[in-house]
Amino acid sequence: MGDTNSNNGNNTNNNNKKPEWLQQYDLLGKIGEGTYGLVFLARIKSSTNRGKSIAIKKFKQSKDGDGVSPTAIREIMLLREISHENVVKLVNVHINHVDMSLYLAFDYAEHDLYEIIRHHRDKVNHSISSYTVKSFLWQLLNGLNYLHSNWIIHRDLKPSNILVMGEGDEQGVVKIADFGLARIYQAPLKSLADNGVVVTIWYRAPELLLGAKHYTSAVDMWAVGCIFAELLTLKPLFQGAEVKATPNPFQLDQLDKIFKVLGHPTLEKWPTLASLPHWQQDVQHIQGHKYDNTGLNTVVHLPPKSAAYDLLSKMLEYDPRKRITAAQALEHEYFRNDPLPGRNALVSPNADKAVNYPTRPVDRTTDFEGTTSLQPSQPVSSGNAVSGSIPGAHGGTLRSGPRQMPVGPSTATGEKKGHWNGDDWIPSTAEIKALRLWRHTGSERYIWFIMLELIRYLSECKVEMLCHHYLETLSFISRRQNLKIKDHRVYLFSVRCLSALTSILLLQVLMVSWEVKEAPTAH
Amino acid sequence: MADFQTSTHRANWIFTTQELDDKYNAARQRAIQTLEKYGATLMEVDVDGTLSYPEPQINSKDNADKHSRPKPLTIEEERYMRVFYENKLQEVCNNFHFPHKIQATALIYFKRFYLQWSVMQHHPKNIMLTCIYAACKIEENHVSAEELGKGISQDHQLILNNEMIVYQSLEFDLIVYAPYRSIDGFVNDMEEFCPVKDDQLHVLKAIHETARMEVDKIMLTDAPLLFPPGQLALAALRSSNEVHKVLDFERYLRSILSRQSSAHTVSELIESLNSIDSWVRGYKFPSEKDLKHINRKLKSCWGLSSHDENKKREKKSKHKSKKSSNETQNVPSHTDL
Repeated sequence: MGDTNSNNGNNTNNNNKKPEWLQQYDLLGKIGEGTYGLVFLARIKSSTNRGKSIAIKKFKQSKDGDGVSPTAIREIMLLREISHENVVKLVNVHINHVDMSLYLAFDYAEHDLYEIIRHHRDKVNHSISSYTVKSFLWQLLNGLNYLHSNWIIHRDLKPSNILVMGEGDEQGVVKIADFGLARIYQAPLKSLADNGVVVTIWYRAPELLLGAKHYTSAVDMWAVGCIFAELLTLKPLFQGAEVKATPNPFQLDQLDKIFKVLGHPTLEKWPTLASLPHWQQDVQHIQGHKYDNTGLNTVVHLPPKSAAYDLLSKMLEYDPRKRITAAQALEHEYFRNDPLPGRNALVSPNADKAVNYPTRPVDRTTDFEGTTSLQPSQPVSSGNAVSGSIPGAHGGTLRSGPRQMPVGPSTATGEKKGHWNGDDWIPSTAEIKALRLWRHTGSERYIWFIMLELIRYLSECKVEMLCHHYLETLSFISRRQNLKIKDHRVYLFSVRCLSALTSILLLQVLMVSWEVKEAPTAH
Repeated sequence: MADFQTSTHRANWIFTTQELDDKYNAARQRAIQTLEKYGATLMEVDVDGTLSYPEPQINSKDNADKHSRPKPLTIEEERYMRVFYENKLQEVCNNFHFPHKIQATALIYFKRFYLQWSVMQHHPKNIMLTCIYAACKIEENHVSAEELGKGISQDHQLILNNEMIVYQSLEFDLIVYAPYRSIDGFVNDMEEFCPVKDDQLHVLKAIHETARMEVDKIMLTDAPLLFPPGQLALAALRSSNEVHKVLDFERYLRSILSRQSSAHTVSELIESLNSIDSWVRGYKFPSEKDLKHINRKLKSCWGLSSHDENKKREKKSKHKSKKSSNETQNVPSHTDL
């Protein structure tokens, strides 16, 4: 595609000049970050498409010395084959020969469901209109039906991967993004564990949680059900605390959250349940535990006889073989009732006022190489990935890998240099666990208060290395709390407090003997 | 992707014979231009994936009399070179016990790569190994480059160096459709078409086996660049049926077309199958003597011949290990890679 063969004919001296392909864009800044790499916002310079916004996803070069990242290649090869209005469009592939990294250029989408839900929950404080919910859902299913009929399972559907186009001729059109984990399901499938990748557990289907080794397209439909509920209530439906371990640990808490709402699965309703590894082994006594069925309808505030509830409960069917398919869901009565779904999900044809969603924050300090050009004292506004996981939310971005971004030399605060290195404080995976747990408790305001209190106490602490995910978490919290971090000093202190806090939390975690057998080492 | 109809394979990589010839000619012409300009053709692929042309030889003007200037390979000789390494590719895949699908994918990558480049520009041995490596990655049968290199005692860095240029040359169209699956499908279908008794199931099994071997042969020709995988599979099954005589093949073809309410007629389909057969019949493997001759020519095109060999070697060893630079100059024969 595009410039892929541009090197065939000319041997240019590849010095430090801007690569040719980059010159066709005006780079505006970073809009997202994930384990796969970075996402940038850019504008096309050329006269044909002048000013058109493009999201450029930069893949990190894989570090295991084994060539081009398989995730990147998989995503590219799938995107090359597919074309659908409700699936993100790959415009071009660029190769940066200097560091062998791949850049994928997509049509830019201003919004995503994660941000839209958050906006409604935290800012406007009212639910998303039923027209918009229905239109989102219909388009999501429409895109998914296309993928499934092309034998592709997405495997990582979550609100942040469902993009929504901003102003323009495609306004309000849903685009499914992030095919890094997508699979063709006629290909020999490997289990999730073999992939060694983290997938958000909140949207994970029960058969996978119970250890099913093979995927079917039904796993995507479960995720759609969870997203549907989240669109209605503005809260994730099943917010389990993730057990972070390799390979593929048993996620008891996530199942617990599901069973509490949907009741205990039974062999009558789900005959193949007996063959699932975790059910068979039953190490955690999941079979014996009794749950009071809270009732899905009370959680999502839907009358049990409504079409919306009927559709939702069919998506959240335990038995994957009985779960509604995308094609069947599109035919559901819910979509034939008023209000009818539309192409522009954001603006109803009945022309009630459209909600003004905020645009994506753009971090203008980061260039394509991923290096920050400003002082480290500037807190990184962790904008949201265009087609990736959201920093600080849904647990997608927390890295368990080696830490790479030491930020904030302590000289900035005029402190003595200590030799204490944050890295050897507690194992990083344990930190992550603690952070996750704490996030899920939802008591950020309280935590923030403690943090401020702890500033004084911890001011002697000599922190030099600050892990990147602390920064993300902090800016996440500050955004949630509408707090502005102005002073670099306060910022650094807070980050330290946060680090301390995680260790305190970890202790608590260990004390209540959480369902973790050991703190696994980061790989 | 199950849908071949909307695939990049169908849209971008099925050609007419004319288009194919044009592409081979154009690639050869580009190599010849390089040869005229620089006195050698081999592209250097650096660790970072950048390409560079051979260094212009200062004395090339002086040497430019007809006798000393390297002669480019002919179209036929280029084909022989590809044929040789395609056989090697199958051999390597068999030695690793890779599934058929991987072998087929790697072969198709190799064929597509040499639509863009001449064997004079990229060493087919390296490209062959990289194609296998890439096919493993794509087909989710990941083998590390090191493992692959070790298994055939080759420098794995050469595999990695070429990875990006291979993807680029394939224009990132990496999903390919091999005829093996189609054969499985057609054999299943035949079971319904001519119900056999239980004791005759082995007949279908035999036709299946022979057809797979036929496809192996077809995959070594240009046919995969000219015909969709379904037709390749049918051609293989027809040949196989001629051996085992299980069913009336023409009647079977009619039944397929009528069920698909295809726009094509049986005679069109038969014409395609005949043409695939003729590709297989026309397949020629180069003789030992041919190979020696081609290799001598190729070596001089690569700028590795006699007088400046030492200089080149010296230059190469700056980038690559000694071992690999020696190997680049090996004469391929039936016994080594």
